[in-house]
Amino acid sequence: MSKKVFEINNLDLFYGDFQALSGININIENNKVTALIGPSGCGKSTFLRSLNRMNDLIDSCSITGEIEFEENNIYETGFDVINLRTKVGMVFQKPNPFPMSIYDNVAYGPRCQGIKDKKILDKIVESSLISAAIYEEVKDRLKANALSLSGGQQQRLCIARAIAMEPEVILMDEPTSALDPIATLKIEELISDLKKDYTIVIVTHNMQQAARISDYTAFFLMGELIEMDKTNKIFTQPTHQKTEDYITGRFG
Amino acid sequence: MELVNKFSTKFAQIKKRNKKEHIDIVVRMFFLISTVISASFILIIIVFISMKGIIPFITDNNGIGSVNVIRFLTGSIWLSGTAFQSNLYSVGFIIINTLYIALLSLLISLPLGVLTALFIAKVAPKKLAEFLRTVVELLASIPSIVYGLFGSGVILVFVYNFADVLGIQSKGGNSVMATVLVLSLMTLPTITAISEVSIRSVGKDIEHGSLALGASKTQTNFKVILASAKSGIFASAILGIGRALGEATAVSLVAGNAKSGPTLAFFETTSTLTSTMLEGLKETTGIDYDIRFSVGIVLMVVIMLTNVILNYIKKKVGNVDVK
Amino acid sequence: MSNKRKLKDCFYQTITYFAAFIAVATLSLIFLFVFINGYKLLDFGLLTNDYYATFYNGALEEGYSFSSTLKPDSLSEDVHYSEKWGLGLVDDKDREGNSIIIIEYVAEDSPLLLMYNKNSEEGIESIEFIEGQLISKIAYFDKGTSLTRTGAKVMISDLDSTETIREIVYSSLGGGIRGSIITTFYLIGITIAIALPIGIFTAIYLNEFAGKNKITNILRSLIEVLTGVPSIIFGLMGLAVFVPLTIKFTQADSANLISGSFTLAVILLPVIIRATEESLKIVPDSLRESSLALGANHTQTTFKVVLPSALPGILTATLLAIGRVIGESAALIFAIGTAVKDDISIFGKSTTLSVHIWSLMKDEPANIELASTIAIVILMIVLTLNIIIKLISKRFIRDLG
Repeated sequence: MSKKVFEINNLDLFYGDFQALSGININIENNKVTALIGPSGCGKSTFLRSLNRMNDLIDSCSITGEIEFEENNIYETGFDVINLRTKVGMVFQKPNPFPMSIYDNVAYGPRCQGIKDKKILDKIVESSLISAAIYEEVKDRLKANALSLSGGQQQRLCIARAIAMEPEVILMDEPTSALDPIATLKIEELISDLKKDYTIVIVTHNMQQAARISDYTAFFLMGELIEMDKTNKIFTQPTHQKTEDYITGRFG
Repeated sequence: MELVNKFSTKFAQIKKRNKKEHIDIVVRMFFLISTVISASFILIIIVFISMKGIIPFITDNNGIGSVNVIRFLTGSIWLSGTAFQSNLYSVGFIIINTLYIALLSLLISLPLGVLTALFIAKVAPKKLAEFLRTVVELLASIPSIVYGLFGSGVILVFVYNFADVLGIQSKGGNSVMATVLVLSLMTLPTITAISEVSIRSVGKDIEHGSLALGASKTQTNFKVILASAKSGIFASAILGIGRALGEATAVSLVAGNAKSGPTLAFFETTSTLTSTMLEGLKETTGIDYDIRFSVGIVLMVVIMLTNVILNYIKKKVGNVDVK
Repeated sequence: MSNKRKLKDCFYQTITYFAAFIAVATLSLIFLFVFINGYKLLDFGLLTNDYYATFYNGALEEGYSFSSTLKPDSLSEDVHYSEKWGLGLVDDKDREGNSIIIIEYVAEDSPLLLMYNKNSEEGIESIEFIEGQLISKIAYFDKGTSLTRTGAKVMISDLDSTETIREIVYSSLGGGIRGSIITTFYLIGITIAIALPIGIFTAIYLNEFAGKNKITNILRSLIEVLTGVPSIIFGLMGLAVFVPLTIKFTQADSANLISGSFTLAVILLPVIIRATEESLKIVPDSLRESSLALGANHTQTTFKVVLPSALPGILTATLLAIGRVIGESAALIFAIGTAVKDDISIFGKSTTLSVHIWSLMKDEPANIELASTIAIVILMIVLTLNIIIKLISKRFIRDLG
């Protein structure tokens, strides 16, 4: 049995009075791709964002239960959130490169950590761009503005930006939903490559995508985790009737 | 009979419709005329000020002799005509003074304004931000003459004492420094308000992207938010410098009206194009009267060129927003 | 997070606090300065008094009897009182800071009430001699003249030791800003009357009638350029265009209120056009379409449906315009001049509150006190306008929501 990166026990999450997640128990395995699926509003994105505490940015959000990352409860008072986010990177639904050069985008995270040495930064940028399979396309114009890239390239740049922090985990929130099929394919290939080195948690709307790229799949419905298992099993013989209904397209 | 009736109703309808359309056309013309009037004023301004402003250069000004254009634009001394019976007017040094002062005031008001905007938009708690927004609105609504009054009542005294501490004798505080301070206070609300809007409109996704990379809130604000809002911030700077170049009454109360220059030292008296135009008001004819229009032409050209250059730079810097 | 990073963050955070503090400090300082310097002179008399004092030369006919009123208890210690003449005087300072002697009390049986106007050409004419006026000189037959600079005490003792008075020169207080206030109001009225219709019609044309073509774009950008023109340039235009025009077609013979109003109207046009257009843009197209579908023509739709919905915006534009008129100084120095007047004619020179401040500050020595008092008046008006605009836009937003 492989190592657990995240161990979530009895997680409840509220937006004001509205309960968005209830009683979630899940383990995220190391160096695997875990896909979170479910209809819109089922809480899968909320769950993803609670893993690097991005939900903190919403005032009305409150959480009970615990999320253990490398055996520390990340919601403990005094926990270093910024440190957590350097270890748990995130890629968003819409590519969101900063309005600066490609180089500066990738170097942003390390620079925020106080790395100033140009040689080290050069190396980090290069290797991150290579890992994100975008280096060949941009190596001649690292000083060009990131917003001049195409949507697919921007998203891979955002992945490179996350990789530059050398995180343990990369969270991906529907990373291909704003992209065309060819760009989507490239990102999917990239994800399969990346799982050698990183643990990946990906929220997706697209069940074929979940089936293609993930090792584990978790099915969320109405803020509850209905079922989680090996992807093969979920898609061929789900335990729950609701999972089967969703996968076979009866709702959602 | 029935047919006639039917016909007449139809005719009435057509007549009515025609009348309605007729009104439409008349009203439309009326509105168009208003618009043409509104739009024509800028042309009137240019034509009439140019016509008046050219007089000192092409006539002999009642025996004083015509003003030399090159000397006017490049010289470093301003002699009032009727008093000295001279045509030795020059605005060369005044152009430099004006640009120098506008630039210095922007050096103070831009960082201060942008930081205030950042504070209001991203740092301050909601209530404090609301309060500060009101403060900025109030500052913007204070007439420039009141800034001038404040300048000569408070800033002059401050500058005078400050110079005194440094062992410099200033002319009652009338100086480059006082002018710069007054102008930076005046442009501060403009810059703050416009920058705040552009900072607030930076997308949440960019902000979250930075936070998710382990950047702190402050790092995000300074490195990403400001970079994303830069085109709005630049626009605010352009407006601010425009206001600094064109401000007249407040400047005339604190500049000290130097007759020669250019003045680069902080505690020396200076003069700007606008403050020069406010001199010699007693005249109603003659060269001292006409020369004001010449200075007006120079002021308009300076503002126009500054705008063109700054907008060019803005395009260069901000071409990222095209995509 | 490392300590160094925390420190850096803290530093950057602090400078934003500092910057915001400067904005607040500036506002407070301006208000504080203006109020501390100006509050002393702020009273109702200032707003209603003439700027120039009216002087009277009074003398007494034979056959008066002296007063027998004792000093009333209501008068304070520093009032010097002459029982004989029934007159109480006090030392004070005027709005320019010069020493003056003010008439604090005149007894009902004072012989001075019987004075006649020495300067009158139509025989004997009685003149007003009341409390609040100031005495600049009293001349006697039997001794030297008592003047303001000797003070109230000396003046009273001189009075007590004489039986006759040759002449009393006294005057109203003056230094009031009634003239500037009236000019400002005239200017607001005339300017709005010129600029508002043209501005609104232009905005309607641009937003409702104009096609999307090159000519519209040119018109629009010509108007847009006006916003960037500094007000002193508008002043020059007023001097070059409107002053000669008004001299030619009206009875005016110099810069006047009408030329000033036209100049201000041009300054205000872009402000009014923009604000009106903004509010026209908010009116939903469905409203226009449903009116047109009911058989109304374009004009009817515009006047009956679109314009009423845009009314709050137009009101805001008007208030903004008023604020601008009150605050404007540079353009008006050229377009109506700096002459402080008490009798206001729209064909004559006069000055607004803002320009009045400028003139006072340009004088040697500058009269900061009176300038600050005027500034208080201006700030009060501007503040009130601001509050009203806020209320209107809040209401507007609420109504739309």
